[in-house]
Amino acid sequence: MARPHDLALGELTDPTADHLLEVVDLSVEFRVRHGAVHAVNGVSYTLERGETLAIVGESGSGKSVSVQALMGLIDSPPGFVTGGRALYRGTDLLSLSDRELQHVRGPGIAMVFQDALSALNPVFSVGWQIAEMFRVHEGLTRSDARRRVIELMDRVGIPSARERVDDYPHQFSGGMRQRVMIAMALALDPEVLIADEPTTALDVTVQAQIMDLLDELQRETGMGLILITHDLGVVADVADRVAVMYAGRIVESGAVVDVYAAPAHPYTLGLMRSLPRLRHKGGRLEAISGAPPSLLRIPPGCPFHPRCGYVRARCRDDDPPLYEVAGGRGSACHYHDEVLGDQ
Amino acid sequence: MGRYVIRRLLQVIPVLLGATFLIFALQFALPGDPIRALGGDRGLSPTVYATLVERYNLSDPLHVQYGKYLLNLLRGDFGESFRGRDVSRIMADAFPVTLRLTAVAFTAEAVIGILAGVLAGLRRGSFLDNLVLVSTTAVIAIPVFVLGLVAQLVIGVELGWLPVAGIRDGWVSYLLPGIVLGALSLAYVARLTRTSLAENLRADYVRTATAKGLPRRRVVGRHALRNSLIPVVTFLGFDIGTLMAGAIITEGIFNIPGVGGQLFLAIRQQEGFVVVGIATALVLVYVLANLLVDLLYAVLDPRIRYD
Amino acid sequence: MTEDFTAQTTGPPEQAAGAAEGESASLWADAWRELRRSPFFVVPALLILVLTVMAIWPQLFTNADPRDCDLARSVLRPSREHWFGFDLQGCDYYARVIYGARTSITVGLLVTTGTVIIAVTFGSIAGYYGGVIDTILARITDIVFGIPLILGAIVMLTVLPRRGVGELALVLMVFSWPPMLRIMRSQVLSVRSADYVQAARALGAGDLRILRRHILPNAIAPVITYATVFFGVIIVTEAALSFLGVGLQLPAISWGLMISVAQVRILRVPHLLAFPGLFLSVTVFAFMMLGDALRDALDPRLR
Repeated sequence: MARPHDLALGELTDPTADHLLEVVDLSVEFRVRHGAVHAVNGVSYTLERGETLAIVGESGSGKSVSVQALMGLIDSPPGFVTGGRALYRGTDLLSLSDRELQHVRGPGIAMVFQDALSALNPVFSVGWQIAEMFRVHEGLTRSDARRRVIELMDRVGIPSARERVDDYPHQFSGGMRQRVMIAMALALDPEVLIADEPTTALDVTVQAQIMDLLDELQRETGMGLILITHDLGVVADVADRVAVMYAGRIVESGAVVDVYAAPAHPYTLGLMRSLPRLRHKGGRLEAISGAPPSLLRIPPGCPFHPRCGYVRARCRDDDPPLYEVAGGRGSACHYHDEVLGDQ
Repeated sequence: MGRYVIRRLLQVIPVLLGATFLIFALQFALPGDPIRALGGDRGLSPTVYATLVERYNLSDPLHVQYGKYLLNLLRGDFGESFRGRDVSRIMADAFPVTLRLTAVAFTAEAVIGILAGVLAGLRRGSFLDNLVLVSTTAVIAIPVFVLGLVAQLVIGVELGWLPVAGIRDGWVSYLLPGIVLGALSLAYVARLTRTSLAENLRADYVRTATAKGLPRRRVVGRHALRNSLIPVVTFLGFDIGTLMAGAIITEGIFNIPGVGGQLFLAIRQQEGFVVVGIATALVLVYVLANLLVDLLYAVLDPRIRYD
Repeated sequence: MTEDFTAQTTGPPEQAAGAAEGESASLWADAWRELRRSPFFVVPALLILVLTVMAIWPQLFTNADPRDCDLARSVLRPSREHWFGFDLQGCDYYARVIYGARTSITVGLLVTTGTVIIAVTFGSIAGYYGGVIDTILARITDIVFGIPLILGAIVMLTVLPRRGVGELALVLMVFSWPPMLRIMRSQVLSVRSADYVQAARALGAGDLRILRRHILPNAIAPVITYATVFFGVIIVTEAALSFLGVGLQLPAISWGLMISVAQVRILRVPHLLAFPGLFLSVTVFAFMMLGDALRDALDPRLR
């Protein structure tokens, strides 16, 4: 039975398109008093049905901004999308009007944010906020929506859902709040779920629970999942493919298994090496020297070159593209063969 | 919620007691002769003087005095004028007038203030926004009595649009004084709404609401506005104090026989006991009004109820 | 928003933006640097400076004597020799307005200084020591806070036999300290638990030293901002009280009193209202703008 938003989506998008989600050469900048902050510079990645893509990077690497741009959530001004396309089922989301995007958000692509306490509206009950999805997108009555809400809350593992439906966000613990957000995102069976640092604000044990929940839900629904995080351990457990971001661009991509076993970019290599491992007991922790560049003034050439152990003359002038590496991988390093070879 | 209500009620009692004690002390416990002071330039014959001492229990020790004073307040006895009129009667007659005036002021301040604030907050940096900002700043800077007199002069006398004195013309006579009374608060409400809305529009939950695919009108009108109005409603409630003080001046200037006007008159006529009696009543109203606002606040913002 | 787009430092920590080599980057130094360049601070500050000069040396602005009155000149209109005309008594209005500045600035200064001292002292004690002292102070604050400034002042002033500048200042102080004290207290509370305070205590610093050198400088910024706007509010309150007839009395020269005295004729002789009214409004406006500029400069979140 077709739901109203299915029809709207159907008109907007093409189910036979190559990829579920394809971001091509996306660039976003923020114009501030001192100049322009280049938050995202020519980023490209794809997402298929049933696949989990992890986007990894430090704070300020542009990972959140790139997905916010795709959802049309960037405040403009001061943010501006300066190039690229974000194709959802073949339609460029960046070319849609806000009205049209409203049909995509929720039923098509849904998002879960980092801090549920500030991401949820404090003055409405959680039941009301989840029910909004049904009432606005599907026109359900209050009682029908309430029923669906309780079912959803059960499904995401919130105990005593029926009693807690009218509670407010501040009355839940951090982990439960995050489940509420997940429930809200999943309400209309979206094809893509974007989770922006969903566990960063949580305790370690709760983190594991939430990741398990996301994993399980994804397998049940077959949706595509984009996981944004700076936690490499989480990526290893849950993701199929990973894209590593640095200074607003993707410096390495590929299957998690491959990238983790043998990184093809010096930055990724540095990240892997800096992870404390049991067998390193007693030795020094390896850190990557220096700090990420200011996004106002990105150095010419490869943005990582000031901190790179493999740096040569070419790196200072030539900004490396994402080279194709064997096995469906990519690396934005001129000397990626050497990096691979060294391991 | 019930526990919150009880707690707030209990908190109010010491404030009421303390405030009445303070007012009592200021009248009768300061050095000097309170009766002469409250009588102003009036010459008081010994008989009148003795009657007053009897009436206000001034020969009793201080704590007994206070006790009787408190009892009197509870019975509605706020003193009397030198001509023997009960202050409570004066206030009862004047109260409906002030109520009407305050209603006009409050409506103006709430409706126009919030409207202006919302429009300005939605369009930061626009011409409308700057207009609101400049005009509210001007209104806040100009003292109420100057504003009132200017309004009387320009709109009442020069332009002749609205009546400027008394209440003979029915509801219309409340219009100009009401707007003048509410003007200062209107300016604050507009600015507060503007800032609050602008802040809330940048909040995380607004981003979430947009990400849920809700129409912009709902995101702003339901989600953002609801949160934005919380501080505004709180302000409106606590603004009763400003309205009361302003009413004294406004009713005085526009010759409105409300409670404020009576106070204004009493000062002019050097009716000290009336002045103090009305002021006391107004303070009590203020404290109770604040209590009501606190309780209302809990209804609006669920986070407070569980404190 | 979760991402942080401000410029990130590379290598060793840089000086705060705009600071020259070796310049202090403290909150106050930064604020001063920013304020110096902002017209929203400079213009009102200059205005207030002019007013203060007017208060101290009114002779610099007029050689007429505000008390030299001649009924024959009653309510004469403004003219080239007498810019503001004459009032009901036949006194030079310009001179009276200029001398009125002295009253306003004096009352404002006395009350603001006194209130700041009370608020800072007791607010710090309440915030720092907490416990019983805090509870008692909080209750007292609640009680005084429950009496609106104008009402309390009216009651107290009605009873006072003599109402000079000093008495008026005292009365205003009695009722206006609660909000300022609360601000100071809450600031002290939030600063008290800061790491650098714990560090100081661990190094053996005594209470007074901690209060003076660590807590006070960091907690006082909002109080300063509030005090600036407060100064303007006090000036208006004095004017309002004098207008009502419970404030200063003749022969004191106060803008509020001038308007009150002339109220009878104001509708026909607008210049009696216009000039003191203008001076009052501009004064308050200047303090408000100053307060806004200070708040923006001192707000650490806007860095």
